[in-house]
Amino acid sequence: MKSKSAWFALAALVAAMALVAAGCGGGDEEGSGGGQTTQAQGEGNLAADQTVNVNWGAEPPSLDPGLATDTTSADILYNIMDPLVKLGPNLKPVPSLAESWDVSQDGKTVTYHLRKDGKWTNGDPVTAHDFEYSWKRTISPDLAADYAYQFYGIVGAQEYNGCKSNCAALKDKVGVKATDDYTLQVQLTSAQPWFIQQSAHHSFLAVNRKAVEQFGSKWTEAKNIVTDGPFKLVKWAHDSEIDMAKWDGWRNAKDVTLTRVNGRMITDGTTAVQAYEAGEIDMNPNLPTEEIPRIKDTEDYQQYPGLGTYYYGFNVKNIPDVNQRRAMSLAIDRQSIIDNIAQADQEPATGFVPKGMPGFDQIHRDSPWAKPTADLAAAKDLMAKVQNPNKDVTLILNDSPGHREIAVAIQAAWKELGIKTTIKVQEWAQFLEFLGPPPDKSVDAYRLGWIGDFVDAINFLELWTCDSGNNNANFCNKQYDSLVAKARNTPDNAQRFGIYKQLEDILVGQNGDLPIMPIYWYTYIQQERPTIQDTWNVNLLNQTDLTKVKKVEE
Amino acid sequence: MTKLIVRRVFWTIPVLLLVILLTFVMMRQISGNPFRRSERAIPAEIQANLEAQYGLDDPWYIQYLRYVKGVATFDLGPSLVLRNQTVNDIVRDHFPKSLELGALAFLFAIVFGIPLGVIAALKANSWLDYFTMFFSNVGFAVPSFLVATLLIYFFSLEWDLGFPTSGWSTWQSKVLPVIALGLGPMAYFARLVRGTMLETLQADYIRTARAKGLRWRRVVGVHVLRNSLIPVVTAAGPLLGFLITGSFVIEQIFAIPGIGRYYVTAVTARDYSVVMGLTVLLSVIIIFANLVVDILYGFLDPRTRDVRT
Repeated sequence: MKSKSAWFALAALVAAMALVAAGCGGGDEEGSGGGQTTQAQGEGNLAADQTVNVNWGAEPPSLDPGLATDTTSADILYNIMDPLVKLGPNLKPVPSLAESWDVSQDGKTVTYHLRKDGKWTNGDPVTAHDFEYSWKRTISPDLAADYAYQFYGIVGAQEYNGCKSNCAALKDKVGVKATDDYTLQVQLTSAQPWFIQQSAHHSFLAVNRKAVEQFGSKWTEAKNIVTDGPFKLVKWAHDSEIDMAKWDGWRNAKDVTLTRVNGRMITDGTTAVQAYEAGEIDMNPNLPTEEIPRIKDTEDYQQYPGLGTYYYGFNVKNIPDVNQRRAMSLAIDRQSIIDNIAQADQEPATGFVPKGMPGFDQIHRDSPWAKPTADLAAAKDLMAKVQNPNKDVTLILNDSPGHREIAVAIQAAWKELGIKTTIKVQEWAQFLEFLGPPPDKSVDAYRLGWIGDFVDAINFLELWTCDSGNNNANFCNKQYDSLVAKARNTPDNAQRFGIYKQLEDILVGQNGDLPIMPIYWYTYIQQERPTIQDTWNVNLLNQTDLTKVKKVEE
Repeated sequence: MTKLIVRRVFWTIPVLLLVILLTFVMMRQISGNPFRRSERAIPAEIQANLEAQYGLDDPWYIQYLRYVKGVATFDLGPSLVLRNQTVNDIVRDHFPKSLELGALAFLFAIVFGIPLGVIAALKANSWLDYFTMFFSNVGFAVPSFLVATLLIYFFSLEWDLGFPTSGWSTWQSKVLPVIALGLGPMAYFARLVRGTMLETLQADYIRTARAKGLRWRRVVGVHVLRNSLIPVVTAAGPLLGFLITGSFVIEQIFAIPGIGRYYVTAVTARDYSVVMGLTVLLSVIIIFANLVVDILYGFLDPRTRDVRT
């Protein structure tokens, strides 16, 4: 490792400064839209060559905003298209293509006022009609969009999406209308105070009708695609490379510093790290777990909090006594799992709704059943109270790296309670079949995670209603369901956060039912060159705004 | 010879139909919803829309017949996962790269493996023989993914010799993956050639040839080598299988956009059309390759020619 130690020595001075910058690297952001200076925030002058090489990590299954479902597609779309709103610091909505918006008294009508200077790369202006067309297209049954459900809060959307006949009439009834070229009016089924933030999601992006109609399913190829964002797609070599270049026709092009982003698709973590260390890429989000301790000590390591919870769920039909579930949750040492196994400085989850969620301080109270360290004595006491304990627990996991090691640690903890745990590792699609819902009869506990779609706690709490398609725990509590319904109709934030607190309590509070036991809150970790570290930021929803990135001189 | 070719081509059709049927049944037997890729449940309306779009709401025999018709017209259907691409697109974009990788690896194995085996046989039991065989044993025993990672680590990173860590574009980027994939077959060929040559060298007709006074070089080049190559040709059949499956691993590690990468992810993702399409494609290749091998046999060993037509 001779060359590596020489490199460390040289970088020692920079590392000290970089560590400070890295410590502040979390949720901080410059104000939106600023940046007319030539001096970047931080140490240096801007580099002459504003080209950045990244690792996208995988081939995006689709760059059609109506069809994209994964984070790779979302990350690219977020930068080649122009959303109505973006998420600023604290995840509050910030005007983007929509310069302002109004919400009616009852919260059910949202009106976006669009800027007049949005443009497509083919010269057309971006209008509200584009959004009406695009949203209805995504909701239409013909597109068979996976994320059509994001629109179900809009009047008529679910009906249109599920229509078997008379679809044209149902399409007209969908509550999205361009009342003029720059005004988009949306009718919601109930007051959804989070709707504005939700519309920052990539499914709500507009597509260019001419391009879609001319090229059909091939409209997203680099030679056909028409976009309206700060960068344009210049190359898409499938499964190999996606390159973007700054588009001078964008409405705020003068604020964009980067001129080109070249992206590889290296899925193998070891190769990705080697590519980074060979200097071929400037940023890598794909780190194998066993390399994390080593990389943490380098100056390239960057960590961001994520909005997600890693948890184990219980099949409450198979483990019916709440005391046993509480005991099983108390017995595990979350901090130790994070320090020794997960190793990415995640935060022990002392509640289900993760830190960083707006209203967290009001919603969250440290759960007495989910502590950072194990409380074996109390756990054993609780187990003793259980009448017919289930001492033979089957735990199912999917076969991605890292999960088995955590399961083994938890298996050892549960052994202290006299529980014999059988760990079953399954291939992903098989695992999902076992989860149902309802979960397979043989499943007593399962591992899962939930990453926020949009920034309101309802996205986490509504998972546990009786008929939620994501409730794999056989958990059904009528009071819980009625509180969720009440929250959906409470536009006032403070009031609604109070309801969320009650919901958290039902899940993991003092008298909580504990259908799940939260383990940790996610983080995003990646390697970044010091020349881009200051301005590169991954927000809680794993989005990166490339208009804010500036490369400094080395 | 022509009769052989015609008969082989004719038999391809029932073989392919069987392959399609088996793959079809197997893919449907593995449970799993191709449209549920994340843990998020899919609302019933959306599941219905997706099934309608891909024809998965039809009875299985209709789907099967539709697929067979598609294969006959060279239309392998749309991908269930890559929503804007068809299987034909995927094959067109990626198959040439896998073919190039496999062909170069095969060439590497022949160009280095055969001479290595020849040298080892001619200088049997010398230090050269031991060294060559040791080297070839290591090449055979070490798994290709380990070889790949080590090659990247040393040649790309540590020694900085100008080979990129991944990708498939410049000639430099092709060197390491080809070596990683070809090392195993090379070792195998070397051993094989050495073994058969040693045997052949003992044969009577070789002694006769030398007694006749033929130059040693001619004896080896014409008589010994030609007879020793027959097992190599036999090995080429299963070797093709190795190259195909080995390429999945190499493509993943070196981030090469070939069809191997897609094949593996498609099974996990339950992308039925991609799995079927690639299985059909690979079956055709293997059938064709075996045909080529059989023709080569005819040239190498005239005794087989008369028997088999």
